Amino acid sequence: MTRHLAGRIGQALLASFGVLTIVFFVMRLSGDPTLLLVPEGASAEQIAQLRHQLGFDRPVPVQFLAYLGDLVRLDFGESLVQRAPVLGILAERIPYTVALASGALLVAWGVGLPAGIAMAVWRDRWIARLLQALVLAGQSLPTFWSGILLILLFGVTLRWLPTSGVDGPLSLVLPSLALGAVTMSSFARMTRSAVLDELGRDYVNAARARGLSRSSAVARHVLRNAAIPVVTIAALEIGNLLAGAVIVETVFAWPGIGQLAIQSIQSRDFLVVQAVVLFVSLVYVACNLLADLAYAAIDPRIRMRA
Amino acid sequence: MRRLLAAVVAFVLASPVLAQNRDQLTIDLPADVATMDPQIQWDTDSATVYRNLFDNLLTRDKTGKIIPQVATSWRFENDTTVVFDLRTDILFHDGSKLTPEDVVFSVKRITNPAFRSPQLSQFDQIIGAEVTGPAQVTLKTKSPYPVLLAQLVKLSIIPKAYVEKVGDVAFNQAVIGSGPYKLASWQRGVQTNLVANETYWRGKPAFSRVTFRAVPDSATRIADLKTGRADITRGLSPDDAVNLRSEKGLDVRDVATERVAYMFINTLHGPTTDKRVRQAIAMAVDRDTLITALQQGYAKPVDVVLAPTNFGYTSEVKGWPYDPDKARKLIKEAGAEGAVIPFLTSPVYDRRLNEAVQQMLADVGLKVSITVVDQPTYLKRRLGTPEEASSLSQGRWSCGCLDADGVIFPLFRSGSVWSKFANPAFDAEVDAARATLDEGARRAHYKKAFEIMREEVPALGLFQDEAIFLVRKDIDWTPTPDEAFFVFDMKTKS
Repeated sequence: MTRHLAGRIGQALLASFGVLTIVFFVMRLSGDPTLLLVPEGASAEQIAQLRHQLGFDRPVPVQFLAYLGDLVRLDFGESLVQRAPVLGILAERIPYTVALASGALLVAWGVGLPAGIAMAVWRDRWIARLLQALVLAGQSLPTFWSGILLILLFGVTLRWLPTSGVDGPLSLVLPSLALGAVTMSSFARMTRSAVLDELGRDYVNAARARGLSRSSAVARHVLRNAAIPVVTIAALEIGNLLAGAVIVETVFAWPGIGQLAIQSIQSRDFLVVQAVVLFVSLVYVACNLLADLAYAAIDPRIRMRA
Repeated sequence: MRRLLAAVVAFVLASPVLAQNRDQLTIDLPADVATMDPQIQWDTDSATVYRNLFDNLLTRDKTGKIIPQVATSWRFENDTTVVFDLRTDILFHDGSKLTPEDVVFSVKRITNPAFRSPQLSQFDQIIGAEVTGPAQVTLKTKSPYPVLLAQLVKLSIIPKAYVEKVGDVAFNQAVIGSGPYKLASWQRGVQTNLVANETYWRGKPAFSRVTFRAVPDSATRIADLKTGRADITRGLSPDDAVNLRSEKGLDVRDVATERVAYMFINTLHGPTTDKRVRQAIAMAVDRDTLITALQQGYAKPVDVVLAPTNFGYTSEVKGWPYDPDKARKLIKEAGAEGAVIPFLTSPVYDRRLNEAVQQMLADVGLKVSITVVDQPTYLKRRLGTPEEASSLSQGRWSCGCLDADGVIFPLFRSGSVWSKFANPAFDAEVDAARATLDEGARRAHYKKAFEIMREEVPALGLFQDEAIFLVRKDIDWTPTPDEAFFVFDMKTKS
C-alpha cells in the first residue's frame, strides 16, 4: 500500500511539473508583458530597457531554469503587475475559491445524489422525467448565461439575493448554484446508472426475498455498492469545478483564483499564472489520489488486491 | 447547532446594506486596483481609485485648462527650466507637512530607471529636480518640452519620509497621500475602502466613505446599479446605454473623451504601400454609418487622427468624402482590384466595426482578411516590423495629456514603434512642434502635419470616443474628457 501510494505521489508530481513546463513555454510564445506595462507612446528604447530589467530578453530555457531554481527554494517571485509576492496574492484568493467550490459541491451532492436515486428507483414515473429535464438543463446551459439569468431573477427581479461580490454568506448562494449545476448533473446521471446497475443484481432479489422492503433494500445494500463509481466521479469533478470557477467568478465578481487566473493571463503576469497553474494541477492530482484511497476504503476487493 | 444557526442568521441580517446610504458612495469598476502606489501602474481602474488619495502638482478644471493644485504658480526661466511655487498648508494623512522635498522626491523616484515605473516614458524628459526655496522647486528638461505641464497633471505627490521609512512594497500596500480621501482598507481583488480626509485643505468631501468594487462583467455591474448595490459604474457599451436610458432612478451620462478611434493603414508594406489604395480606403469607409449604426450616436466624427479636446486639433483639414465610386476607380487605376488586405486585430477592439469596414472595402473591390489574436500578440506584431504589422488595424488612442504631441508623434513619426510611415516633411513638422513652447507656432506645425497626413493617409480618423457612465440620478457629477474620476467633485443633489 505504501509503495502504491509513493508511486502515485511521484506520478502526481511529475504531472504537475509537465503542466508547469507546458504553460511556461506556451505563455512566452505569445509575447511578454512589457508591451502591456508601458503606456501608449513609449519609445523602442524605453520598451527594450524595461524588457531587459524584467529579464524577458534572456532565452526562454534560461528563464525556465532560473524559475525552477527559485521554485526549489519555494520562492514564487513577485507579480510584475501588482509588485507584490505571488504567494501572498495566491493565498488571499484561495479561501474564496474553496468556499465557492464547497458551496457548489453541496449543491451538486445535495441535489444530484437524491435526484439520481429517484431517477433510478422511479425510473418510468413522471418525476423521473421531470428530474431528467432538470439534469439536462443543468448540464447544457453554459454558466456565463445561467449565471446572468440567476442574477436577473433572484437579484434584480425578486431582490432576494445579492447580485455580486462578497457580502456575507448569502453572496455565496447564486455562484454556488451556477457552478454546482453542471456537477450536479453528472452526479445525478452517474448515480442513476450506478443504482440501476445494482438494482438488477441477484443480491437485491435475495434481499427482497428475505422480506426487505424495496426502500430498505436500496438504502442498506444498493447505495453502498453504487457509491463506488460515484466517488471516482466526485474526485474528478473537483477539477471541473476549479475550471468552471474561472467563468462563474468573473460573472459574480467573486474574487477567487479563477478570476485571478483570467486577469493574470490577460496581463501576462507570468509568475502569477504559473503559481495558479501549479496550485490547480496539485489540487487535481491530489483529488485523484484521494479518490484512489477512498476507493480502497469503500471497496474491500481493492483493499485485498493491494 | 441552534447556536450556529442563530449566528448565521445574525451575520446575514447584519450584512451591510450598500449604496442606499447617502454618506457612502459605492463605485463598480471593471477591475481591482493593480497597484495603490501611484508611481507604478497607470491603468484606468488603478488611477481611478488612487488619484483620490493624492494631490497632483497641477490639475485641470472642468474645461480642461491646467490650473494650480500643489503648485500655486509657475514660470519658465528659459525654454528648459520651470520654477514652481508651492502651497505650504498641505498635510499628508499622517499629519506631516507636504514640502518641496516631497515634490522633488516624487519626480526623482518616478524618473529613476531602476524603479522600473511603467510611466517612465511620460516623465523621462525631466532631467533635473531641485528645491530652490522654502516653498519652491525647479524642474529642468532635456530640451524645450511643451507637454511638461500636461504630464505634471498626472504626477501624484508622495511623502518622502514615509516611503523611505517603510519601503516601496509596504508603501504600495498602505499608501499615504495628501488627497481628499484616506485609504481605509484594500482587499485585493475585492474592493478598496476610502474614508474622507476631514481636514483636507480644499474642504471636507461630501461623501464620508467611498467603496470601489471590482466587478468584471458589465451585465453584473448594471444589475448592481439597478438593485442599489452600487451608485456609479463605467465602461458601458453604446448598446447598454440605449437600453438603460429609461431606467428609473438612474442616469446614463456620457462625455466625449480625448480618446480617438482610427484606422491604421500600413504605408511601408503590402498593397497599401500604393497611396491610391490608401486614399481609396479613406473614401470607402462611411464614418457616419459606423457612428449611427454601431456607436448608437455615442461618438463624434473626426477628420484628423486627434480629438477636438487636444491641443493642436484643427477643423480646417477636411477628411476624404465618402465616395465609393471614386474609390473603385482609384483601386482599378492602382491595379489593386481583388487584392487581399490583411487586417490585424484583438478582442479589445470592437469586432463589429472591423467587420463593417471589411464589408465597406469589399464593396469597392478589396478583400479584407481579418486575423484576431490576443492583445499581447497584437501589440507584438503591431509594434513590430512593417511586414509583421499587417495592412490595416483598428486603434483607439489617448495620451492622457490632451496634446497632439502625445498622439501623432508616437503613432506616425518615423522611428517610433507604432509608426509604419516614413515621411521627412511630416517628421520635420512634428519635431518642430515638439521643440518650441510657442503655442501659435506649434498649432501651425500640427496643421501642416495633418495636411500631409490627409494626402498620404497613414491612418484614417474615425471618431472621438465617448466614455459612458451609469450614475444614480441624485448624484451631482459630470464626467470630464480626460476621464479623471475625482470623488471630491461629487455630491448628492439636494
